[in-house]
Amino acid sequence: MAELGALAGLLGLGGAFALVGLVLAGWMAWRIVEKAGLPGWAGLGAILLTLTAVGTVVPLVLLWVFAFMRWPRDEQGTPAIASGSAGAPRPLAPPPKVLPDRRGWRLEGGGVSLAFDESAPSYRLTGGPAVEPTDLVVPDPSVGKPHARLLTAANRLGLEDLGSPGGTYIDGARLLPEHGPRDISAVRSIRLGSVELVLSRV
Amino acid sequence: MPDITSWLLSWAIVAGSAVLFVIAVVHLLVALLLIIPSWRILTRAGYAGALSLFHLVPVIGSFIVMAILAFGDWPAGEARHGDGGRH
Repeated sequence: MAELGALAGLLGLGGAFALVGLVLAGWMAWRIVEKAGLPGWAGLGAILLTLTAVGTVVPLVLLWVFAFMRWPRDEQGTPAIASGSAGAPRPLAPPPKVLPDRRGWRLEGGGVSLAFDESAPSYRLTGGPAVEPTDLVVPDPSVGKPHARLLTAANRLGLEDLGSPGGTYIDGARLLPEHGPRDISAVRSIRLGSVELVLSRV
Repeated sequence: MPDITSWLLSWAIVAGSAVLFVIAVVHLLVALLLIIPSWRILTRAGYAGALSLFHLVPVIGSFIVMAILAFGDWPAGEARHGDGGRH
């Protein structure tokens, strides 16, 4: 305690406030850069640089760099639907607030009616015979085997093209494999090859 | 002949005003250097960029802006921990 008292006396009240401010600023800087996807120590280090001979100039420059640089947070884009192309498909993240809705989904058109719900995280749309219990068959030569994947979770439905030559369309817009899964919860219809399927809730 | 006391007082007021003016201008310039990047950071985080004007508050202004960014949930989304900063 005597040492602490001596240190406080050495620093004075202003020094003590500066120390508290420095610790607080370092902690907040750590949290801010972490939220942007950067390592937290980078933010803390930028604040601690004010203790060195470079003073506040370098931290000010770093603030400008941080403001205008690419953040790792932005590289992934919207987190709406998890990718299903790499390994097993992951379930969709639920929206923050949602009313309970136990209804399933139905795709209807081209002589078929496909009903499914959220009991499985993903379904495969195929033109060939069903291999898995989660295969939804659209018997048409323009539909690939398999053609596309449906992802379900918490009242949301995603669609991912699996690269079939016939093509996949969402309300007339082409969906390519490199687009990844897209949310189709609010769309009217999708097209697999030449088969138009109207989406509805059941 | 003017009273020496009032003459000195007048000069003190003029000198003090000039010093305050210089301090205010320097403060504004320094705040501007902080407001511009903070405006962009706040906007990218999903907040109103005008919150960066808190930098105009002397002494604690920067702490207010940092606290908003550090302890608020970013409306535009945050990088999640444990996946390399990716969503």
